[in-house]
Amino acid sequence: MRSRFRATLSGYATYSARGGLFPFLLHRITGLGTLIFLTIHITTTASVYFSPSFYTRFMTVFRTPLFMLGEIILVFCVIFHGVNGLRIAYFDLFKPDLWKKPSFQKITRATLLIALVLWLPAATVMGYNLLKIGFGLFGGE
Amino acid sequence: MATTGFDALAWKWMRYSAFLLIPLAWGHVLIQDILMGGHSIDLDYVSLRWSMIGWRIYDFCLLSFAFAHGINGLRQVLCDYILSEKYRRWAAWGLLAAWGIISAIGAVAIIGGVRLE
Repeated sequence: MRSRFRATLSGYATYSARGGLFPFLLHRITGLGTLIFLTIHITTTASVYFSPSFYTRFMTVFRTPLFMLGEIILVFCVIFHGVNGLRIAYFDLFKPDLWKKPSFQKITRATLLIALVLWLPAATVMGYNLLKIGFGLFGGE
Repeated sequence: MATTGFDALAWKWMRYSAFLLIPLAWGHVLIQDILMGGHSIDLDYVSLRWSMIGWRIYDFCLLSFAFAHGINGLRQVLCDYILSEKYRRWAAWGLLAAWGIISAIGAVAIIGGVRLE
Protein backbone atom coordinates (compact mmCIF):
# COMPACT_ATOMS: atom_id res chain seq x y z
CA MET A 1 0.00 0.00 0.00
CA ARG A 2 2.80 2.36 0.94
CA SER A 3 4.66 1.64 -2.31
CA ARG A 4 1.53 2.48 -4.28
CA PHE A 5 1.24 5.75 -2.44
CA ARG A 6 4.89 6.49 -3.14
CA ALA A 7 4.42 5.61 -6.81
CA THR A 8 1.53 8.06 -7.02
CA LEU A 9 3.54 10.79 -5.35
CA SER A 10 6.59 10.23 -7.53
CA GLY A 11 4.25 10.21 -10.52
CA TYR A 12 3.03 13.64 -9.48
CA ALA A 13 6.61 14.80 -8.95
CA THR A 14 7.74 13.75 -12.44
CA TYR A 15 4.65 15.27 -14.02
CA SER A 16 5.22 18.40 -11.98
CA ALA A 17 8.78 18.74 -13.23
CA ARG A 18 7.51 18.51 -16.77
CA GLY A 19 4.39 20.62 -16.62
CA GLY A 20 3.72 22.33 -13.30
CA LEU A 21 1.75 20.73 -10.46
CA PHE A 22 -0.76 23.55 -9.99
CA PRO A 23 -2.38 23.54 -13.47
CA PHE A 24 -2.27 19.73 -13.44
CA LEU A 25 -4.17 19.49 -10.14
CA LEU A 26 -6.58 22.31 -10.99
CA HIS A 27 -7.35 20.64 -14.33
CA ARG A 28 -8.23 17.41 -12.51
CA ILE A 29 -10.25 19.10 -9.75
CA THR A 30 -12.27 21.24 -12.20
CA GLY A 31 -12.77 18.22 -14.47
CA LEU A 32 -14.00 15.98 -11.65
CA GLY A 33 -16.21 18.76 -10.29
CA THR A 34 -17.81 19.22 -13.70
CA LEU A 35 -18.29 15.46 -14.07
CA ILE A 36 -20.04 15.19 -10.69
CA PHE A 37 -22.34 18.07 -11.65
CA LEU A 38 -22.90 16.57 -15.11
CA THR A 39 -24.04 13.26 -13.61
CA ILE A 40 -26.55 15.06 -11.38
CA HIS A 41 -27.54 17.41 -14.23
CA ILE A 42 -28.25 14.64 -16.77
CA THR A 43 -30.28 12.50 -14.38
CA THR A 44 -32.30 15.38 -12.89
CA THR A 45 -32.95 17.03 -16.27
CA ALA A 46 -34.07 13.64 -17.60
CA SER A 47 -36.86 13.80 -15.01
CA VAL A 48 -38.70 16.26 -17.32
CA TYR A 49 -39.63 13.06 -19.13
CA PHE A 50 -39.60 10.48 -16.31
CA SER A 51 -41.20 12.59 -13.55
CA PRO A 52 -41.99 16.26 -14.33
CA SER A 53 -43.20 16.93 -10.76
CA PHE A 54 -39.82 15.82 -9.39
CA TYR A 55 -38.10 18.19 -11.84
CA THR A 56 -40.18 21.12 -10.62
CA ARG A 57 -39.35 20.26 -7.00
CA PHE A 58 -35.66 19.87 -7.78
CA MET A 59 -35.48 23.24 -9.54
CA THR A 60 -36.89 24.87 -6.40
CA VAL A 61 -33.87 23.50 -4.52
CA PHE A 62 -31.65 24.80 -7.32
CA ARG A 63 -32.90 28.35 -6.63
CA THR A 64 -31.43 28.37 -3.08
CA PRO A 65 -28.34 30.56 -2.47
CA LEU A 66 -26.07 27.54 -1.90
CA PHE A 67 -26.83 26.08 -5.33
CA MET A 68 -26.60 29.49 -7.00
CA LEU A 69 -23.12 29.88 -5.48
CA GLY A 70 -22.28 26.39 -6.71
CA GLU A 71 -23.35 27.45 -10.21
CA ILE A 72 -20.83 30.33 -10.16
CA ILE A 73 -18.06 27.91 -9.13
CA LEU A 74 -19.21 25.43 -11.78
CA VAL A 75 -18.90 28.09 -14.50
CA PHE A 76 -15.31 28.74 -13.37
CA CYS A 77 -14.61 24.99 -13.57
CA VAL A 78 -15.98 24.75 -17.11
CA ILE A 79 -14.08 27.87 -18.28
CA PHE A 80 -10.73 26.94 -16.69
CA HIS A 81 -10.95 23.30 -17.78
CA GLY A 82 -11.69 24.51 -21.33
CA VAL A 83 -8.90 27.09 -21.57
CA ASN A 84 -6.33 24.82 -19.93
CA GLY A 85 -7.57 21.85 -21.95
CA LEU A 86 -7.05 23.79 -25.17
CA ARG A 87 -3.50 24.54 -24.04
CA ILE A 88 -2.85 20.84 -23.30
CA ALA A 89 -4.35 19.75 -26.62
CA TYR A 90 -2.37 22.40 -28.51
CA PHE A 91 0.92 21.42 -26.82
CA ASP A 92 0.38 17.67 -27.21
CA LEU A 93 -0.89 17.66 -30.77
CA PHE A 94 1.04 20.50 -32.40
CA LYS A 95 3.90 21.78 -30.21
CA PRO A 96 5.12 18.97 -27.88
CA ASP A 97 8.47 20.72 -27.31
CA LEU A 98 6.63 23.55 -25.50
CA TRP A 99 6.24 21.21 -22.49
CA LYS A 100 9.99 21.47 -21.86
CA LYS A 101 10.62 25.12 -22.68
CA PRO A 102 11.19 27.75 -19.95
CA SER A 103 8.34 29.82 -21.42
CA PHE A 104 6.03 27.10 -20.07
CA GLN A 105 5.51 28.94 -16.78
CA LYS A 106 4.51 32.09 -18.62
CA ILE A 107 1.97 30.23 -20.76
CA THR A 108 0.55 28.55 -17.65
CA ARG A 109 0.06 31.91 -15.95
CA ALA A 110 -1.56 33.31 -19.11
CA THR A 111 -3.95 30.33 -19.14
CA LEU A 112 -5.14 31.08 -15.61
CA LEU A 113 -5.41 34.79 -16.42
CA ILE A 114 -7.51 34.16 -19.57
CA ALA A 115 -9.80 31.88 -17.57
CA LEU A 116 -10.26 34.52 -14.86
CA VAL A 117 -10.90 37.30 -17.40
CA LEU A 118 -13.57 35.16 -19.11
CA TRP A 119 -15.09 34.13 -15.78
CA LEU A 120 -15.28 37.55 -14.06
CA PRO A 121 -18.08 39.08 -16.21
CA ALA A 122 -20.03 35.82 -15.88
CA ALA A 123 -19.45 35.78 -12.11
CA THR A 124 -20.64 39.39 -11.89
CA VAL A 125 -23.93 38.65 -13.66
CA MET A 126 -24.48 35.47 -11.66
CA GLY A 127 -23.39 37.12 -8.40
CA TYR A 128 -25.91 39.89 -9.00
CA ASN A 129 -28.64 37.27 -9.49
CA LEU A 130 -27.49 35.46 -6.35
CA LEU A 131 -27.82 38.62 -4.26
CA LYS A 132 -31.10 39.56 -5.89
CA ILE A 133 -32.93 36.24 -5.97
CA GLY A 134 -31.02 34.34 -3.28
CA PHE A 135 -30.87 37.11 -0.70
CA GLY A 136 -33.59 39.56 -1.81
CA LEU A 137 -31.22 42.50 -2.39
CA PHE A 138 -31.71 45.12 -5.17
CA GLY A 139 -35.46 44.91 -4.69
CA GLY A 140 -35.60 41.10 -4.71
CA GLU A 141 -37.14 38.95 -7.42
CA MET B 1 1.91 6.97 -23.12
CA ALA B 2 0.83 4.10 -25.35
CA THR B 3 1.14 4.82 -29.06
CA THR B 4 -1.24 2.10 -30.29
CA GLY B 5 -4.43 0.45 -29.06
CA PHE B 6 -7.33 1.68 -26.99
CA ASP B 7 -5.40 4.00 -24.67
CA ALA B 8 -3.81 5.85 -27.59
CA LEU B 9 -7.25 6.26 -29.14
CA ALA B 10 -8.68 7.47 -25.83
CA TRP B 11 -5.76 9.90 -25.44
CA LYS B 12 -6.47 11.39 -28.87
CA TRP B 13 -10.23 11.41 -28.19
CA MET B 14 -9.75 13.57 -25.09
CA ARG B 15 -7.83 16.18 -27.10
CA TYR B 16 -9.87 16.26 -30.32
CA SER B 17 -13.21 16.20 -28.49
CA ALA B 18 -11.94 19.17 -26.45
CA PHE B 19 -11.93 21.35 -29.58
CA LEU B 20 -15.57 20.46 -30.23
CA LEU B 21 -16.58 20.79 -26.59
CA ILE B 22 -15.43 24.41 -26.35
CA PRO B 23 -18.27 25.81 -28.52
CA LEU B 24 -20.76 23.16 -27.34
CA ALA B 25 -20.22 23.37 -23.57
CA TRP B 26 -19.38 27.07 -23.41
CA GLY B 27 -22.40 27.94 -25.55
CA HIS B 28 -24.60 25.87 -23.26
CA VAL B 29 -23.17 27.51 -20.12
CA LEU B 30 -23.43 31.00 -21.65
CA ILE B 31 -27.13 30.62 -22.51
CA GLN B 32 -28.38 28.53 -19.58
CA ASP B 33 -26.20 29.71 -16.65
CA ILE B 34 -25.20 33.27 -17.51
CA LEU B 35 -27.89 34.77 -19.80
CA MET B 36 -30.85 32.77 -18.43
CA GLY B 37 -29.50 31.75 -15.04
CA GLY B 38 -30.21 28.31 -13.60
CA HIS B 39 -32.75 29.88 -11.22
CA SER B 40 -35.08 30.85 -14.11
CA ILE B 41 -35.17 27.44 -15.78
CA ASP B 42 -38.38 25.42 -15.42
CA LEU B 43 -40.53 22.90 -17.29
CA ASP B 44 -41.95 25.59 -19.60
CA TYR B 45 -38.46 26.70 -20.56
CA VAL B 46 -37.34 23.14 -21.31
CA SER B 47 -40.44 22.43 -23.45
CA LEU B 48 -39.96 25.71 -25.35
CA ARG B 49 -36.28 24.89 -25.98
CA TRP B 50 -36.99 21.31 -27.02
CA SER B 51 -39.81 22.40 -29.35
CA MET B 52 -36.92 23.31 -31.65
CA ILE B 53 -35.29 20.21 -33.14
CA GLY B 54 -31.96 22.04 -33.50
CA TRP B 55 -31.64 22.42 -29.72
CA ARG B 56 -32.46 18.74 -29.23
CA ILE B 57 -29.65 17.81 -31.61
CA TYR B 58 -27.34 20.30 -29.84
CA ASP B 59 -28.17 18.77 -26.44
CA PHE B 60 -27.73 15.27 -27.83
CA CYS B 61 -24.23 16.16 -29.11
CA LEU B 62 -23.40 17.72 -25.76
CA LEU B 63 -24.61 14.62 -23.92
CA SER B 64 -22.55 12.28 -26.11
CA PHE B 65 -19.33 14.29 -26.21
CA ALA B 66 -19.19 15.90 -22.75
CA PHE B 67 -20.19 12.85 -20.71
CA ALA B 68 -17.91 10.46 -22.63
CA HIS B 69 -15.06 12.96 -22.22
CA GLY B 70 -15.73 13.17 -18.48
CA ILE B 71 -16.06 9.43 -17.88
CA ASN B 72 -12.89 8.68 -19.84
CA GLY B 73 -11.12 11.44 -17.90
CA LEU B 74 -12.18 9.81 -14.64
CA ARG B 75 -10.89 6.46 -15.93
CA GLN B 76 -7.51 8.02 -16.68
CA VAL B 77 -7.36 9.66 -13.23
CA LEU B 78 -8.28 6.36 -11.54
CA CYS B 79 -5.50 4.57 -13.46
CA ASP B 80 -3.02 6.82 -11.61
CA TYR B 81 -4.23 5.43 -8.28
CA ILE B 82 -5.17 1.86 -9.19
CA LEU B 83 -1.97 0.08 -10.12
CA SER B 84 -3.25 -3.49 -10.42
CA GLU B 85 -4.31 -4.42 -13.96
CA LYS B 86 -7.21 -6.47 -12.60
CA TYR B 87 -8.78 -3.60 -10.65
CA ARG B 88 -8.13 -1.17 -13.47
CA ARG B 89 -10.20 -3.42 -15.71
CA TRP B 90 -12.97 -3.57 -13.09
CA ALA B 91 -12.99 0.22 -12.78
CA ALA B 92 -13.09 0.60 -16.57
CA TRP B 93 -16.03 -1.79 -16.94
CA GLY B 94 -17.85 -0.14 -14.04
CA LEU B 95 -17.40 3.28 -15.59
CA LEU B 96 -18.48 2.00 -19.00
CA ALA B 97 -21.67 0.62 -17.45
CA ALA B 98 -22.36 3.87 -15.57
CA TRP B 99 -21.70 5.86 -18.74
CA GLY B 100 -24.04 3.66 -20.78
CA ILE B 101 -26.90 3.78 -18.25
CA ILE B 102 -26.74 7.54 -17.56
CA SER B 103 -26.30 8.41 -21.25
CA ALA B 104 -29.29 6.23 -22.11
CA ILE B 105 -31.40 7.98 -19.44
CA GLY B 106 -30.41 11.37 -20.91
CA ALA B 107 -31.01 10.25 -24.48
CA VAL B 108 -34.48 8.90 -23.68
CA ALA B 109 -35.40 12.24 -22.09
CA ILE B 110 -34.11 14.27 -25.06
CA ILE B 111 -36.10 12.10 -27.47
CA GLY B 112 -39.18 11.84 -25.23
CA GLY B 113 -39.25 15.52 -24.30
CA VAL B 114 -41.22 17.12 -21.48
CA ARG B 115 -44.07 14.81 -20.45
CA LEU B 116 -47.33 16.48 -19.54
CA GLU B 117 -48.81 15.14 -16.31
